[in-house]
Amino acid sequence: MCKDLPPLERAIQFHGHICPGLLIGVRAAEFAQQHLGLGVDEDEQLIAIVENDNCSVDAIQAILSCTFGKGNLVFRDYGKNVWTLGSRQSGKAVRIAQKFNSLQGMEYKRFGELATRVLNEEEAAEKEMLIGVLFEKVMSIPVEDLFTWQDVELDFPPRARIVTTLQCTSCGEGVMETRSTKTERGILCPACMQKEGDAPGV
Amino acid sequence: MRQVCEANVYMYRGAQEELVMEKVDRIIPGEDQTIFLESIFGERKVLRARIKEMELVHHRVVLEEIREQPEGERHEEIWLQPDTDHGHFHEGEEVKLLLFKGYNMQPSPEQDLVQIKAIVAHDGKEHEVPVEESESGYQIRLNHEADGLLQVYALESGEMDAYATVLVEVGHHHHHGLKPLGLPLEIFPSDYSHARMGQSYEIQVLKEGKPLAGAEVRVTYASTRQKDYPHRLVTDQEGRASIFLTARGNYLFSVSDGNLNSTFTLVKSF
Repeated sequence: MCKDLPPLERAIQFHGHICPGLLIGVRAAEFAQQHLGLGVDEDEQLIAIVENDNCSVDAIQAILSCTFGKGNLVFRDYGKNVWTLGSRQSGKAVRIAQKFNSLQGMEYKRFGELATRVLNEEEAAEKEMLIGVLFEKVMSIPVEDLFTWQDVELDFPPRARIVTTLQCTSCGEGVMETRSTKTERGILCPACMQKEGDAPGV
Repeated sequence: MRQVCEANVYMYRGAQEELVMEKVDRIIPGEDQTIFLESIFGERKVLRARIKEMELVHHRVVLEEIREQPEGERHEEIWLQPDTDHGHFHEGEEVKLLLFKGYNMQPSPEQDLVQIKAIVAHDGKEHEVPVEESESGYQIRLNHEADGLLQVYALESGEMDAYATVLVEVGHHHHHGLKPLGLPLEIFPSDYSHARMGQSYEIQVLKEGKPLAGAEVRVTYASTRQKDYPHRLVTDQEGRASIFLTARGNYLFSVSDGNLNSTFTLVKSF
C-alpha cells in the first residue's frame, strides 16, 4: 500500500489537481492497459502517441510511464483527444479517440469558465462542487460511450538514442551533437544559432 | 412584437429573496441535485438547489438551496482523525489521534470538550484511553503498543451525546474481523478495505446495533470549501448508503437521531 499507488492517485499526484481532462486520460490509459494487457513501462517497451497536449497526457505519463523524458511519448499537435498506445514486446497497438460530445453538458461549460480565471470564494465552492459531479460522470460513463477504438499496425519509433554532447562555441554550454550546427565560428547550439542569425554552416 | 420569455432567478432565503441571475433563458436540472442557469447574456452558474416556485407571467423563478442548513439548526459534532498524512501508522510508530469539535470538518474556535472519554476496541476487548488537552486541541495517544486494525471511539456526554468513531490501521492488511461497536448510534463501514477516490464507499447506520432506515447522513471531506456539508445521503431499509469518493484526504460521515450524534471518519491515504 505504501509503495503502490493506484493509477488514479498516481495521475492526480503527478498532475497536481483533479480535473475532467486528467480523468479522461485516466480512462484512456486504463482502457489501453486492459485492452492490450499492458503494465507500466520501465524501459520504453510501451509507446504513447498523443494528439494533444492537454491534461489527459499527464495521466498517460503517470499511469503508463510513457514520458516526455524517456522519449516514449510522442506528441502530434493535432488538438484531438486521441491516444495511440502500443507495446514493442507484443507488437500490438490501439488507437483510442474520445467520442465527439461524449461528455457534453452544462457542467462542462461552466467548469471550463471557472477553470481559466481567478475565482472568488463562492465560485471556488461552485468549482469544487462541479469537480465532484464531473468526476463521477467521467469515471462512471461506460467506456464504449466515452471512446471509440481500433487496433492498429504501428511503426514503432526508434528507441531514444544517447549521443555525444559537444560544447557550444558561443555560450559554452553543452549541446547534443545531433542538435548542434558546425559553423565558421565553431559549433553552435540552436539558441546561439538563432541569435547569430544566418551564421554560415560549414 | 417581441415576446419576452426570460426570467429573473431568485434564491429563497426565508423572508428575503436574493437575485441570483437576471434574464435567464435556460434552466436545466443536472445531476446530484444541481441546477444549471444560463442567461441571455451568456452568464452561467451551477447551484445545488431545487425549484421552489415559477411565476412565468411575472418572469420570476424562485429556487431553494438544498444544502445549506441554517446555522442556528446546526449542532456541533466531534470527530477523530489520525495524526498522520499517510493514512495509517507503521508498527512501532507512535499512534496519535486528534479529536475535534465543530461542524463540516471545520473545528470551532472554542474546543471546549466536556465529559469526554475515549475507548479503543481491538480483538473483542475494549479499554479506555486518556484524552489529553494540548495547545492545538485534544489528542489521544495510543503510543507504541498499538498494532493491527483498531476501532477507536470518543464520547462527549451532554445535552446531546456525541460519538466519534475511526478505524486506525497500524501496520498493513488488517482487514478482517471488524464488528460494529454497538454504540447507541453508529456509522459502520459495510466492507472495510482501503477506500479510493473514484470508487463507491458504503456505510451502514446502526441504532442500538440495528439498521436505521431513512436516516440522513451528511458527508464531507477535509478540503471542502463548502460552508455546509456538500453531500447528504439517505439510508435504505438496511440502513445503508453509499457515496462516490471524489475528493482527496479523509471523509467524515455524520448522522443525528434525537439527542444523539455520531460521526465516522473515513481515513484515506490520498
